[in-house]
Amino acid sequence: MANALAAIVGLGMIPCGKHLERSVIDMATEAVYLAIKDAGIKPGQVDACFFGNVLAGRLFGANTIGQNVFWEVGINRVPVINVENACTSGSTALYLAYNMIAAGQAEVVLAASSEKMYVKNAGLVDAGLDELDTLLGLAAPATFGMRARRYMEEFGATEKQLALVAVKNRCHAQFNPLAQFREPVTVEEVLASPMVADPLTRLQCCPIADGAAAVVVCSPALAKRLGRAVNIEATVLATGDYANPPNLAGFDTVRRAAHLAYEKAGIGPGDLHVVECHDAFTITEIMDYEALGFCPVGQGGKLVEEGHTKLGGRLPVNVSGGLLSRGHPVGASGLLQAAEIITQLRGEAGERQVRGAKLGLVQNMGGDKDGDIRACTISILSTW
Amino acid sequence: MPGIFTLPPYDDEPPALLGGFCPVCNAYYFPRPKYCRACLGPLKETRVGSEGSIYSFTIVRKKAPLGLPQPYGVGYVILKETGLFIFSLFDPATLDKLRIGLPVRLAVNTLGVDINGSPCLRPYFTPMPVMSDPGKI
Ligand SMILES: [Zn+2]
Repeated sequence: MANALAAIVGLGMIPCGKHLERSVIDMATEAVYLAIKDAGIKPGQVDACFFGNVLAGRLFGANTIGQNVFWEVGINRVPVINVENACTSGSTALYLAYNMIAAGQAEVVLAASSEKMYVKNAGLVDAGLDELDTLLGLAAPATFGMRARRYMEEFGATEKQLALVAVKNRCHAQFNPLAQFREPVTVEEVLASPMVADPLTRLQCCPIADGAAAVVVCSPALAKRLGRAVNIEATVLATGDYANPPNLAGFDTVRRAAHLAYEKAGIGPGDLHVVECHDAFTITEIMDYEALGFCPVGQGGKLVEEGHTKLGGRLPVNVSGGLLSRGHPVGASGLLQAAEIITQLRGEAGERQVRGAKLGLVQNMGGDKDGDIRACTISILSTW
Repeated sequence: MPGIFTLPPYDDEPPALLGGFCPVCNAYYFPRPKYCRACLGPLKETRVGSEGSIYSFTIVRKKAPLGLPQPYGVGYVILKETGLFIFSLFDPATLDKLRIGLPVRLAVNTLGVDINGSPCLRPYFTPMPVMSDPGKI
């Protein structure tokens, strides 16, 4: 669309996996380098940088590391801002980059993110030890186990429907060389894998990962000169309302973000060609379908069961393999999700290319508070 | 977890969760925030509930944190007294009984450790005694 206020002109990422020999800075540096090269810009053209990360402070005592990363590729002096927003840290960096350009305060902004999770003695991801919920045993899988249980009670979704999300995404991952786990799985294997938090089995929970991704965001005028631009039609960020009672059977905050994103982009869910949504757990993707308006409330299980969201279906979702296959390097996941949509809209996704994809949506969520999520970002991207 | 539940002995009243109450907004909170979120007025410490029913639950079977037994159960309970939905642990001895809608009541006992590794009291919900045995309460 001609009226997009910013565009993505460069993309860099490293494969998700277990990178025991690499630091969070080393991974990020490579991703940023690749994004700059992909865009064909020089470091001196960059007006500002945002860097997303969640765990480096807690795991390695390393804070404010964006400055290290960007200086490794020759960027100094310009504003560097470190972003921590739970699992939406990377997509929040993109949100901020977009807004800085849309406001006319910069022409070229880098959004990068990196996360290192494969270290000894890392427990389940929680909200931090100063939170009452954490002291009472709340960890990420528990939250989504409770959501799954409530969702199944209210809408009669089946364990098989949940498992089919994992089966679909692993099937897609076969065609993504950057995914961590690429072997297909069956419904039986998913359900027979060890129980983590009832009713979610291990293959229904995203694995951890080390990973990094970066994008170059720029003004529409510069994008026209550089070529291969992916337009940002909208990018929004919603925070939870923390209402009591909470709704564990639906993502009200995601729904609110989606309304805003569709309104800003001037499109509806029926216009989309390809989607990456937050599938940290199988139930998450099913509830995302409903909040994003792909089907009525309570019909998410049926949508995946009928094959509408697989590659070749009406609206392919998580063609990259999703978090369930890629793994979830928490602070980096938002940009890795965006990377898949950028790749699809450029028509460079190889065997997993969605034919004719010109309009895509990426949705990322993070954190947990009072039965709600802390943050949800949605970006709508296009190449039309 | 200071100040979120009444402390033993429980001679006269059963253990209860402690939250906040705003008399202006007639609003209950758990745990008690510093100010009323609706009017920013002061909150009164108050008992928000000793009984309720299960809204949802799960049993965590991996990496029990803070010395909690493995597996352990958690979920949301709808408090009978105030209607608040609150997150809580469940009685580790009754995990096989958990189901949505189950009536539960609060107990306080030593369960797991605090962040310094010392054993500590935690509140948790346990199934109400069955109706056929009312004398037991
Ligand atoms: Zn008030």
